[in-house]
Amino acid sequence: MSAATLSPEVEAQLKEIGPVELLVGIPSFNNARTIGHVVRAVSTGLAKYFPGRPAAIVNSDGGSSDGTREQVVAAELASPSSILVAHALSPAQKIVTPYDGIPGKGSAFRTVFTIAERLGARACAVVDSDLRSITPEWIELLLGPVLGQGQDFVAPLYLRHKYDGTITNSIVYPLTRALYGKDVRQPIGGDFGFSGRLAAHYLGKPVWDSNVARFGVDIWMSTTAVAEGFEVCQAFLGAKLHDAKDPGADLADMMVQVVSSVFDLLGAYRDRWASVTGVEAVPLFGFPHGVGLEPVRVDAERMIRVFRQAARDLSEIWRSALAEETWRDVRQLAEAELDQFRFPDAVWVRTVYDFALAYQRRLLPADQLLRSLVPAYLGRTAGFVLETVTSDAEDVEARIRLLADRFVAQKPYLLQRWS
Amino acid sequence: MWKFLSDIVQKTLSGFGERLAAFGPNLLAMALIVLAGLLLAGLVRLGLRFLLPRLGFDRLAQRTGLATMLQKGGIAAPPSRVLAVGAAWAVVAVFVLLGIGALNLQFAMDLLSRAFSYLPNLLIALALVLLGSLAAAFVRRSVLIAAVNAGLPSARLLAGGVRTGLMVLFIAMALEHLGVGRQVMLTSFAIMFGGVVLALALAFGLAGRDLARELLEGALKPGGEGPHGDELRHL
Repeated sequence: MSAATLSPEVEAQLKEIGPVELLVGIPSFNNARTIGHVVRAVSTGLAKYFPGRPAAIVNSDGGSSDGTREQVVAAELASPSSILVAHALSPAQKIVTPYDGIPGKGSAFRTVFTIAERLGARACAVVDSDLRSITPEWIELLLGPVLGQGQDFVAPLYLRHKYDGTITNSIVYPLTRALYGKDVRQPIGGDFGFSGRLAAHYLGKPVWDSNVARFGVDIWMSTTAVAEGFEVCQAFLGAKLHDAKDPGADLADMMVQVVSSVFDLLGAYRDRWASVTGVEAVPLFGFPHGVGLEPVRVDAERMIRVFRQAARDLSEIWRSALAEETWRDVRQLAEAELDQFRFPDAVWVRTVYDFALAYQRRLLPADQLLRSLVPAYLGRTAGFVLETVTSDAEDVEARIRLLADRFVAQKPYLLQRWS
Repeated sequence: MWKFLSDIVQKTLSGFGERLAAFGPNLLAMALIVLAGLLLAGLVRLGLRFLLPRLGFDRLAQRTGLATMLQKGGIAAPPSRVLAVGAAWAVVAVFVLLGIGALNLQFAMDLLSRAFSYLPNLLIALALVLLGSLAAAFVRRSVLIAAVNAGLPSARLLAGGVRTGLMVLFIAMALEHLGVGRQVMLTSFAIMFGGVVLALALAFGLAGRDLARELLEGALKPGGEGPHGDELRHL
């Protein structure tokens, strides 16, 4: 068991609190602007939907210097007037602690899992600390299926703009679905529910000194749950709005972090996914509904320019990473007229599978290989945008489903080239 | 007169015979050492040609850019074979030097002594060039990918320039170690490096003002996402 080390103060607090049934973890790093709202929403959700059940809220902080922890301490927990109930409330206990280990969301989660195990929590959830759209209902939706329906892992299902989450839509979702055979739409959502049993299982994994501790914990949690046979479901949470985006966030960095996590897991679970055929739906909780979403501006022309340039300038890398047939198709795509530009599903699927194989074979340093995937991804995204410019969100979702099915249909190609 | 000449020839021949008798074993030893060197070199070559591909050396060379560098230098053979041949020739060279030493001649001993004392410098210089070429290939690829992702039109030129600069730096360091034209190399490098930096600064200042402004605005404007203004959230 590789539990996190807790400070003596937290150890003493845990003894004082005693066993709890529910636990919600909030990892944070300099989120003073939003974390108070998140703590209040969580506390209200616990009080409103799980009254009388002992619960704890754990803030696992990465050394914030903007008063994040003070905001958590100062956040008022739910009162009867705030949620319009007449019965007595047993407010959740707050635990505010810095985490130890490698800086990153994974290490923050490790501390949450450790406390969950120590307090014997039956149902747990983790929510991001920069959320602006979290409501008390999220807590019901993330904890309810674990507590009442015997689920082990609750993945979030958000309502998003048709061009939101393009790495998820074009790589992570279809690849994870095809490999492990479970239709989890947003495997890197960031807000999850999970059983105490699964938290203990996570804690026992020897990953806490790897990239999982730094940045890959979301996809690792989802993949571990689906690949190792835990009961998995989804909960519809509505729109997800974050605090203002980190201006330093770079597409290539995102690509490296997310796709390296997916490809690492693909290597680790090779024996499991190799025998999986077909895809099965997972139970969905919540009530899907539509809300107005802000339009997203996309410069498809610039993306195509980058793709074309890469087909010329990165040819030595792409030629070594891609199969001969895929490389030939990609070169042809780069010569297409702007208004005719499309990136066919079949070519994109082969591109992703070829890069996955090149990653496993270590043809190039992982960082360089995955950064060189960015222009291909931009080409694919531009083609997708041009193809669906007049489509509504439902049509686009159906189109993403078609791509996901193509990943399943071409899985034998991956297996064949792998062996 | 005839007797005088005959004595001289006899003395010369007997002297040559004595010297040959004294020197012959050394010559034979040299021949044997060189022969042993050739045999060992053959074995080293065969062994490396067998082992290196199985240890994944060619794949490593591909990853590090060594294979591409060799191809660009007109060497089409796999890197493992090139290394095997290089190692075999190194063995031959060492045994030839040892063979010359076996002759036990003063000039040969001097040559041997100087060659062996120079060998560390040569090895360090070779290591510097090899390290430089690996580092230059790695950095070139990183710069190329970053420049393409940023949509810079002269990505190849930029990456090639960075690679050339690094190679020049490492070669200058290697030559410095070998003591070849030390002052000339140092001065040439300083002039060239300074010239390149000045030229780049002038080129960017004169021709890239708008681009610089655009890049800075994109980077510093709150919530800005660079000069392109996409609002896609990729995750």
